Amino acid sequence: MVNERQSASETVGRVFERVLAQAGAGGRPVEEVVNETLYRERERLKKAHGERAEADRAFYAKVRHELPRVPESGRNRLLHDIVERYATEIQGRFDPRVYAVATRVIPVALSGLMTGLSPKRVLGDPGLLLSLDDRLVIEGETDALRRLEGAGTAVLVPTHCSNLDSVLMGHSVFRMGLPPVVYGAGLNLFSNPLIGFFMRNLGAYTVDRLKTDPLYRETLKEYATVALEAGQHSLFFPGGTRSRSGGVERRLKKGLLGTALSAYRNNLRRRRPDARIFVFPCTLTYPLVLEAETLVSDYLAEAGKSRFIIVDDEFSRVRRWLDFLRGLVELDLRIHLRIGRPLDPFGNEVDADGRSLDPRGRPVDPARYLLADGEIVDDPVRDGEYTQALAGRIVESFSRENVAVPTSVVAFVAFELLRRAHPGADLYRLLRTVGPETSLSLADVELEVERVQARLRKLDSEGRIRANGSVSGDDAPGLVRRALRTFATYHPEPVLERRGVRLHTNDAQLLFFYRNRLEGYGLMDAPDLLAHRRDA
Amino acid sequence: MSQPSAFSLQPSSLDDVAVLGAGNWGTTVAVLVAAAGRRVTLWTHSAAQRDEINDHRRNRRYTGETELPQTLRATCDLREAVEPAHLVVPVIPSKAFREVAAKLGEVVRPDHMLVHGTKGLEPGTHLRMSEILRQETCVRQLGVLSGPNLAGEILQGQPAGTVIASRFPRVVAEGQKALSSVRLRVFANEDVTGVEYAGAFKNVVAIAAGMASAMGMGENARAMLVTRGISEIARLGVALGAQPLTFFGMAGFGDLVATCSSPESRNHRVGAALARGDTLETAQQKLGMVAEGVNTARVAYELLRARGIESPLLEAVYRVVHEGLTPQQALQELMSRKPGVDIQPALRLTAVEG
Repeated sequence: MVNERQSASETVGRVFERVLAQAGAGGRPVEEVVNETLYRERERLKKAHGERAEADRAFYAKVRHELPRVPESGRNRLLHDIVERYATEIQGRFDPRVYAVATRVIPVALSGLMTGLSPKRVLGDPGLLLSLDDRLVIEGETDALRRLEGAGTAVLVPTHCSNLDSVLMGHSVFRMGLPPVVYGAGLNLFSNPLIGFFMRNLGAYTVDRLKTDPLYRETLKEYATVALEAGQHSLFFPGGTRSRSGGVERRLKKGLLGTALSAYRNNLRRRRPDARIFVFPCTLTYPLVLEAETLVSDYLAEAGKSRFIIVDDEFSRVRRWLDFLRGLVELDLRIHLRIGRPLDPFGNEVDADGRSLDPRGRPVDPARYLLADGEIVDDPVRDGEYTQALAGRIVESFSRENVAVPTSVVAFVAFELLRRAHPGADLYRLLRTVGPETSLSLADVELEVERVQARLRKLDSEGRIRANGSVSGDDAPGLVRRALRTFATYHPEPVLERRGVRLHTNDAQLLFFYRNRLEGYGLMDAPDLLAHRRDA
Repeated sequence: MSQPSAFSLQPSSLDDVAVLGAGNWGTTVAVLVAAAGRRVTLWTHSAAQRDEINDHRRNRRYTGETELPQTLRATCDLREAVEPAHLVVPVIPSKAFREVAAKLGEVVRPDHMLVHGTKGLEPGTHLRMSEILRQETCVRQLGVLSGPNLAGEILQGQPAGTVIASRFPRVVAEGQKALSSVRLRVFANEDVTGVEYAGAFKNVVAIAAGMASAMGMGENARAMLVTRGISEIARLGVALGAQPLTFFGMAGFGDLVATCSSPESRNHRVGAALARGDTLETAQQKLGMVAEGVNTARVAYELLRARGIESPLLEAVYRVVHEGLTPQQALQELMSRKPGVDIQPALRLTAVEG
């Protein structure tokens, strides 16, 4: 495990030198870079509270006072101080001793999270937490992951729809017998001292998405790059944030993803023998999503984009955690983690021996993608294109490795039948119109579920989605019953509820949320309701 | 698990360029590269053609008595052509493109740059040539060469302009270095998709222009044809992901002006032959070369149908070429339609946002 302080100081050195070099080569002068930081941070701090914000205010007041009064060397020092401040906040505080304890008993770590919030509840029901481990099914290219992590550095890039994801990924990595992974977690998750403690010691570094300063983003990316170069297996959520719609990510953020390529290039330059970076797309599929209600209302809100960080969601409410976990255990529900086929930083598939393959399966030397006139060169535009290609392949993998679960199948069918019953209504009107009094014939739903099951089995056999377990095995009435039971356990109102021979919708938004997981497969010839949204 | 190191191998020669396909345009591109001071290897599958080029400095079937430069060598060995080159320029008819791309996939490396010069789309799949290269090879640094480039004029040493589009600035820069000379100005574009569609679709309009010429129509008719043609191909291209303004650059408007005015253009000649009453087979036989517009007319028609886009001119050309409508009937139908708006609202909006 690398020393975080060394990573941070390496990061500071690189970012500092780069800004100076760019300024020297006719780029932005140091003073302008610092001024932008002052402006961006002042805007951010207008709405920030607490100790950290106070400290930041004091620090930037000092920088603002000094900037016009110091000579060039002084300006450089101010720049250095800012980058250092950023890097210090970002750096993880990994402790191998805590890690050893925490990972072995993640359910207990989970209990730790909740003990911090409400010890009595957890202690009163210990079986609940210990059996969580059985709920998590890990499938897919686990052998490739075990094999390749020794030959280079692994980057796990999962789908993201819950704050539970990072905890489950951390635990899964341990269960597969792999060394720990580092990952960036939102600053807000650290606000609870206990959650923060475990996050840090499971390998998290902090990401403050409210900081819009380009210098901060550069520092963050460099920190991630330095960690990869040090052979630190890493975890990025390439969607950048939890999927608000509930759908599988279709557009990825290229910033952090591009660090795989930067680290590979830097490793090649230093002629490191284990220079390779292997990217593993992963899908996490939940039968129920802890934060579904908050996420979908955020998706539907006009102001959805500005509310990038949600602090007061279900994740912070212990009652909801317990309901969620109880649901998982009592109904014998499974969370699926699927590891997809590995890719190189250019989006080529990688075989079991770690060789990159071209689209026709021939081995290629990926280092050659970085050559110009026989030399490895920096070319940000070129590398951006390569990262774009990688992102495209990850999105394809997400779609293939997505697991169809009963709740999504039944939600998809019910939503589509409701949509057909309201021709001409746009999404928002449809969601407003549908209420508890709106109902569907159970027989109609079962008939369509049966058709969708057949279609999913076919898609599964073509490798375009994963539809095993009850989705392919149960008969349609059985699948519908299973979905209804699941919906009844966790959300305040059951999403769908049977009354006699009719199915009633109690929460159209949640129905929409769960259906979205199966968007993009052409089921029931339904129109693509997420296509027009960039953040789908 | 180790791979061959990138450092131990010899870098590609900085000067070598390979041109694949020794047809009329491929040979002309090779001549241009030689004129720009590069060593160029021209790949052809025909041994007779290779020998004619190497021994007699002629490629009579395609470029007549034009003497080919000494720095141009022909070969039938794809590996021999591609391995020492840093830039490879496939100029292969769209129908044979995949076959050659598949062979190319065996010999290229990730540090190669590929700039193709084929103005067509793959029959059946409707794919652009860069998409085929992406499917068949490991190469990512792709580009396209397109524009108003009548080979005959260029071989006579007359000045011309062209465009290279690539998402990779270095591909554009290397392509410019390899082709630019006092005879040719090479402009840059990032919109690979747009340049490929513009280059392909304009051939369909060129067929219409040939028909119009043979039917004795005047300059007013030609102006209408070019203007409506650009509007229609831009609309279809934008629906397929192209940038609208690309259609008003070298590969769109530029190429359309050249092919619609010049009887030298192959597609123009096919259109003219059809208007004189030749069958498609006879028209193509007389040409002795591939007129991409014939195939592209069908691809464009299928793309229009699949997207529900109305495009009177492109549809009319398809029906004349492939369904036996006479050019006279087509003209009659076109002229009796209710005229639409001058500038497509969709196009206007995208151009502003674009």
